[in-house]
Amino acid sequence: MEPGSTAIYIWFMGRLVWVGIAIVGAAAWGVIAVGRGETISAAWLVLAAVGTYLVGYRFYSRFLATRVLGLDARRATPAERLNNGRDFVPTGRWVLFGHHFAAIAGAGPLVGPVLAAQFGWLPGTIWIVFGVVLGGAVQDFVILFGSMRRDGKSLGQMAKEEIGPITGMLTMLAILAIMIILLAVLALVVTNALKDSPWGVFSLLCTIPIALGMGFWMKVVRPGKTVEASVVGFALLLAALVAGRYVAGSAALAPLFTHGGVAIAWALMIYGFAASVLPVWLLLAPRDYLSTFMKIGTVVLLAIGILVILPPLRMPAITRFVDGTGPVFAGKLFPFAFITIACGAISGFHALVSSGTTPKMIRSELDARVIGYGGMLMESFVAIMAMCAAAALDPGVYFAINAPLGTLGGTVASAAQKIGTWGFTVSPEQLSGLAGQVGEKTLLGRVGGAPSLAVGMAHIFASATASRLMGLWYHFAIMFEALFILTTLDAGTRVGRFMLQELFGHLWKPLGRTSWYPSTILASLLVVAGWGYFLIQGVLDPLGGINSLWPLFGISNQLLAGVALCVGTTFIIKAGKARYAWVTLAPLAWLLAVTLAAGWQKIFAPDPRLGFLAHARDTAAKIAAGSVDPATGARLIFNDRLDALLAGIFMVTVVALLISSIGEWLAVVRGRKPAVMKETPFVESAYA
Amino acid sequence: MREAGQAIGRAGGQAERRTGRFARLLNALRRIAGMPDYAGYVAHMAGRHPGCPVLSEREFYDQYVNARYGNGASRCC
Repeated sequence: MEPGSTAIYIWFMGRLVWVGIAIVGAAAWGVIAVGRGETISAAWLVLAAVGTYLVGYRFYSRFLATRVLGLDARRATPAERLNNGRDFVPTGRWVLFGHHFAAIAGAGPLVGPVLAAQFGWLPGTIWIVFGVVLGGAVQDFVILFGSMRRDGKSLGQMAKEEIGPITGMLTMLAILAIMIILLAVLALVVTNALKDSPWGVFSLLCTIPIALGMGFWMKVVRPGKTVEASVVGFALLLAALVAGRYVAGSAALAPLFTHGGVAIAWALMIYGFAASVLPVWLLLAPRDYLSTFMKIGTVVLLAIGILVILPPLRMPAITRFVDGTGPVFAGKLFPFAFITIACGAISGFHALVSSGTTPKMIRSELDARVIGYGGMLMESFVAIMAMCAAAALDPGVYFAINAPLGTLGGTVASAAQKIGTWGFTVSPEQLSGLAGQVGEKTLLGRVGGAPSLAVGMAHIFASATASRLMGLWYHFAIMFEALFILTTLDAGTRVGRFMLQELFGHLWKPLGRTSWYPSTILASLLVVAGWGYFLIQGVLDPLGGINSLWPLFGISNQLLAGVALCVGTTFIIKAGKARYAWVTLAPLAWLLAVTLAAGWQKIFAPDPRLGFLAHARDTAAKIAAGSVDPATGARLIFNDRLDALLAGIFMVTVVALLISSIGEWLAVVRGRKPAVMKETPFVESAYA
Repeated sequence: MREAGQAIGRAGGQAERRTGRFARLLNALRRIAGMPDYAGYVAHMAGRHPGCPVLSEREFYDQYVNARYGNGASRCC
């Protein structure tokens, strides 16, 4: 063939492949659309999602990279210019992709979809897939790009420099508030998974001495030998998991590790405080290594499991609970599906990671596309797998685990009867049999998503291996989730502590010194007290806690995404590309609609299950009627008002941020203000 | 004799390549998990700042871990 015709041939084949991918993806969506009412295989979900990701990555992220942001291979990155062999290190594209993914992925994309499965698997799936392609991945990419052009500055610093000092201050406060709610709700998820579960408590407790031993090894015995310590630590972790079964089966040991929700909540608070004041090499660093390897390993395992088994989705595509009467959490499909699933579709928290360590390690500007946009697509895929695992469960079993105990009644018989009234059949024997299989006394009312995800994962792994391993797989999944939630708890408490110390430093200088013990202890105590208060509130909540705390977390996380998108829009407008500003404005508009609608309903809805204020009124009426004792009632009413106040603060903050951003945009677009960006000046790259 | 020697040499080369690949994989895993890369740091100092004092592995580990986690690493939900 002549050279010209070879080029045409390659061009043609390339187009053909993309047409093929688009057709497969579209066909999978077609099967999903027409296959309603019958059970379809998880394969269709996976195909539809992956097909959409590939098309989105190939075409939309390319448009963002070339037209909107203008990635420039000739421009030296901070890693190249400031290379110091430590935090600024030019890092290969795929290694950094893995690193970034491990930093953004956590419990969020696993738990959110499981909770949203009460609407059926379809609404959540559509939001996860299209939300990420048009929203979440765009946010991560734009913020990563902006931070990379500014020597790796944080989101708060960029908001302050590009929009204004008030926005910067609001962003800082928003981050602190979100951190508190996030830690509380994640701790609640762990508490619900571990209460009255000696196996779970024992294996999770073992992770603490294992981490301490690893820390000591890496610091003192063989300094810097992190890999060997992690390998040994991982092996010990698995041993603890197996040993947990014998502890749970032993009449002498089991009671030692069997605790109720309140005791576990206090233990988590003490742990969070200790981790925040102890040196990082002792606990934080080794735990982080362990949980990163566990995370990557389990995600790969889950992907293999789902692709091998391709479980049928037994949950209906859409359930009757889209009308807002669902037992898992209250509220209609709009807006609550979109705030329940935050991570996985769009997560403001990622903006913190995308403006943290990752931008300091990018080798070439062009890599930002696969790391920022591609990394978030990967996280979205994790959310799809979680949705598959939850929807593969028998719906009766799903609701038995995720509905609060107060709704189900205390016994398998009452639960089966109640679930029957919702139109799902499950027998009491099925429920008690399943609990026995996974090595627990009961699975009823284990709200929070982690236990039902673990049952779903155990179900998939056990059918790929042996069914008698069900209990081991269940506790493996619980330990894996608890391990990295605890890592978020200790790292998050520490972040909160530093933010508070910085704020206090403005009031009285010595309090700002992070190495001064009294200041460290005070700030750590305050942060732990903050999330601990909401945690205890959640544990004691008759509606299960998740019902009130998860929506607050979702609203706050989406609010942070709103901040990130405002900052991203400012980058684009100041770069003279206002005609492309819709790429961030469109997801911003959607998020505002969702967040404000959800916030409004959580505060003012007349249904006591949904609205905080209505619940307070309802409780007051019950106190008057004598059906709730006054002390408990007063506590519930105070908490309702506090939650309402918090939701209100979030809403006011987001509106204030928006107004100050719009002011800045209009000033730039109308030419009243010069479009000055705080980008680091161009330096030619030696790599290009 | 010469053939045998070459065969040993080839086998040695393969083993070396294999260890090289294994070492690269280990290194990639280490950096994905955000672990310190002392060899990389030594190479960086030799290439960019020849003659400057180089930290010992213990000192490097301490500094690295403090820099990375001292402010509380941002971990997502």
